[in-house]
Amino acid sequence: MSETSPTVFVVDDDVSFQVSVARLLRASGFQVRTFSSATDFLAQRPPGSRGCVVTDLQMPGMTGIELQAALAESDNPLPILFLTGHGDIPTSVKAMRHGAEDFLTKRAPKEELLAAVQRALARDVQDQAERTRRHELRSRFSRLTPREREVLTHVLRGQLNKQIAADLGINERSVKRHRTSLMAKLQIQSVAELGQLAVQAGFSDR
Amino acid sequence: MTWIDFCWPVATGAGLAIGLVHLWIGVRGASGRANLLFALNAFLIATYSYTELRMIQAGNPAEYLARLRWLDLAAGTLTITLLLFVWSYFGTGRKWLGILGIACMGLSMTADLMPVPQLVFREFTGIHFVTTFGGATYPVAEGVPSPWNALFYLSVLLQLLFVADASITSWRRGDRQRAVVVGGTIVIFYLLGGLQAALVDIGVLKTPYLVTFIWLIILGAMAWELTRDLLRSAEISRELHDAQERMQLATTAVDLGVWEWDIDRDKFWITDTIRKRLGAGPAERVNFSRFLQSVHPDDREPTERAVRHALAAQDEFEVEYRSITAEGMTRAMATRGRVERRGNGQAHRVRGVSTDVTERKKAEAESYRQQADLAHVSRVSTMGQLAAALAHEINQPLAAILRNAEAAELFLQQDPPDYEELRAILADICKDDQRAGAVIDRMRLLLKRQYLEFTPVSLTDILDQVTMLVRGELQGRHVTLAVEQPGDLPPVRGDRVHLQQVLLNLIMNGLDAMEGRSAGAQQLTVQVRRSDEETVEVAVTDQGPGIPIDKLDLIFEAFFTTKSKGLGMGLAISKTIIESHGGRIWAENGAEGGATFRFTLKIADAGGAA
Repeated sequence: MSETSPTVFVVDDDVSFQVSVARLLRASGFQVRTFSSATDFLAQRPPGSRGCVVTDLQMPGMTGIELQAALAESDNPLPILFLTGHGDIPTSVKAMRHGAEDFLTKRAPKEELLAAVQRALARDVQDQAERTRRHELRSRFSRLTPREREVLTHVLRGQLNKQIAADLGINERSVKRHRTSLMAKLQIQSVAELGQLAVQAGFSDR
Repeated sequence: MTWIDFCWPVATGAGLAIGLVHLWIGVRGASGRANLLFALNAFLIATYSYTELRMIQAGNPAEYLARLRWLDLAAGTLTITLLLFVWSYFGTGRKWLGILGIACMGLSMTADLMPVPQLVFREFTGIHFVTTFGGATYPVAEGVPSPWNALFYLSVLLQLLFVADASITSWRRGDRQRAVVVGGTIVIFYLLGGLQAALVDIGVLKTPYLVTFIWLIILGAMAWELTRDLLRSAEISRELHDAQERMQLATTAVDLGVWEWDIDRDKFWITDTIRKRLGAGPAERVNFSRFLQSVHPDDREPTERAVRHALAAQDEFEVEYRSITAEGMTRAMATRGRVERRGNGQAHRVRGVSTDVTERKKAEAESYRQQADLAHVSRVSTMGQLAAALAHEINQPLAAILRNAEAAELFLQQDPPDYEELRAILADICKDDQRAGAVIDRMRLLLKRQYLEFTPVSLTDILDQVTMLVRGELQGRHVTLAVEQPGDLPPVRGDRVHLQQVLLNLIMNGLDAMEGRSAGAQQLTVQVRRSDEETVEVAVTDQGPGIPIDKLDLIFEAFFTTKSKGLGMGLAISKTIIESHGGRIWAENGAEGGATFRFTLKIADAGGAA
C-alpha cells in the first residue's frame, strides 16, 4: 500500500495484547502496524504517515501521555486513542484535555473500539484536510509585501482608506492600490471574506 | 548351793537368750549371715557353760573325763564359729590364716573324739577336789598332758592372728569402732582367758576355768556391734525413706517421672508417676517393650531407634515422643537419659527422667499458630496494596483473549477462513489463559493460611515469583527492579510462601520509600550472594531518603510505621519469619542515601537438621 494509505499504529509493551488488537483491527479491514514502545514508534514511523495511534497508557520508558505530548509537538500529529487496563479518571481527563480521540479500557466492547478507531481515522482525514488548507492559506499570506501586510492589518481593524493613509504617512491612492493587490493575492473579493480567511490562516497583526 | 551353781547356769541362760534373739533377727534377714553365726556362737557358749557346770559337778573320774571331752569339743567348735563370724562380719583378714586355724582345730577335735589319746591328757590318773573361795569345791584332773594340747593352742593362736589381722585391715579401711570393739575384745580376752587357764593349770590360781565368762564378754562386744548396726540400718532406712518421700514430693510436684533401666535383665525401676502414666499395677514388671507399648504407634519405631542409637553411641540422650496414657489420652513426653557403661563400653544401665511436655507443646503450637495467622493477615494486607496492579496483570491477558476471540470470529466469516491465523489465535488464547492463571495461582498461594514448612527452595524461583507479582506495581510507580544473583546459587532451607512474603514486604517498603521522590528513573535493587559456606545473603536496596539514624533500631518493632497506610507489621513479621529460619535481618543506610535491608538464610544441605 502507498505511504499515505491510513494505518492504525498499535503501541503496547504487552506483546500478546498488541498482537491480538492488531489481529482484530486487520480482520476488521484496517491496515495495522505494531510497536512495542513509544520511542520505537516515534523513531520508525514513516514520514507523512496517515492514520491514528492506538496506545497503552502505562508502559516502561515513555508512557502514553508522554507519547501524546511528543506527537503533538511533531510536524505530523496523528489522532491518539488510549487503551488502558484500568481506567483511572485523573489520567483520562488529562488525556482527553490534550485532545485524545478516546480513552477506552482494554476490554471495552469491540464495537466501541472499532468505532473509536474509525472516528480517529476520519478525524485524521479531516485534520489533514484542514492542515492542508491552512498551509495553502499561509502560503497565500506569505506572498504579501510588508507594506501590503501593514495595510491588511489596518483594514482588518476596520479603518477607512483615508485613516490608513494618514496612519502610514502615504497618500490615499497608494492605499487603494495595495488593497487591490492584496485582495488579488489572497484570491478574495470582499472585506468580509478577508476577515474570515485571516482567522483561518491564523494571521495576526502581532 | 555355791556361787558356782549360780553363775554357770546364769551364763547358760544368757547365751541361750542372746542366741534366740539373734536367731530371730538372722532369720528375718537383716544382715542375716552375721546374725546367724552370732546366734550359733551364743548357743555354743550356752552349751559350753552347761557342759562345764556338768563337769564341775562330776562325782567320779570317768564322768569327769567324758564331760571334759564334750567341753573341749564345744570349745573347739566355738573358736571356729567365732572365726567364721569375724570372717563374714569384717570381710577382711588373710584367708589362708583362717583356713589353717580351722584345719588345726579340726584336727584337735578329731583327737578329742578318739578314745585314746585324749586331747588334754595322754594318761588320765584321776581327780581331786579343791575348795575355793566361798566354800565352793570343784574337781581338778590329774594326768600326763597330751602333745595334742599343743595343737589346740597352736590353732587358737592362728585364729587369734587371723582376727588381729582382719581387725587391723578393717581399722585401716576406716571401720575403727568395729575393729576395736569386736577384734580388740576377742584378742584381749582370748589372751586373758589363756592366761587364767594357764595360772589354774600350774596351780597358782585356785579357781575353776573362767573361760565361760570371757566368752560371754566377747559375746557382749559382738552383740553391742551387731545391735549398733541394726540401729544404724534402721536409721538409714528411715533417712532413705525420708529422702524418697522428699524426692517423690518434688517429682510429683513437677510431674517428673524418674526411672532406671537394668539393661541386662531388661527391668525398669520406675517412680509412681511413671507407673501411673503407663497404667502399670504396683507389682507389674516393666520392661522396654512394656514401655514401648505406651508410646504412640507412629512414634514407636523412631523412639526405639533413638534409644538403641543412644545405647550404642551416646552417653546422654534426649527423646521426644507421644505417649498414650492408661486413659487413652495422647500426651507429649520428653525423656532424658544417661547411659552407664562397663569397662568394655557396653551399656548396662540407663538412668533418666521423663516429663510431660504436652502443655508446653500446646503453648508453643498456639504461639506458632498466632504467628502464622499474623503473617497471613500481613500477607493479605500486602496483597490488598497490590490489588490494583494484580488486577491489571490479570486484565492484560484477559483483554488479549477477548480481542483474539473477536478476531477469530471475523476470520471465520472469511471465505475461505484463514486457518493458519485461527490456529495461531487459539494458541495465543491458551497462552494468555495460562498467564492469567499463573497470576491467580501466585496470589492464592500467598493468600493461603499456611504454617512454616522447611524444604530446600530455590531463591531464584522465589525471586521470579515475587518479581512477577510486583511487576504491575513497579510499572505503575515507574520503578525498575534490578535483580543481581550468581548463576550457581544453591537452594536454601526455607518456606516458599513465607520467604516470598519477606521479599514482597521489603520490595513494597522500598517502593513506598521512593514514592514522591523526583521523577526520573528510579531503581530498586535486589542482590543475592553467598556470604559463606553455609549462608546466603539477600539485600534489597532502594533510592529513598534512607532511615533516620534514631529509627534504625525501631523499624523491626511491631506497630512501628512511618507510613500513613501501613499496619507497621511488615518488618516485624519479616523478622519473625527470618529468625524462625535461623537467619538474621537488619537494615543500614547507604553512603549516598537510600536504605538497604539485608537478611541471611541457611543453605539447604549445609544447615544439618532439615
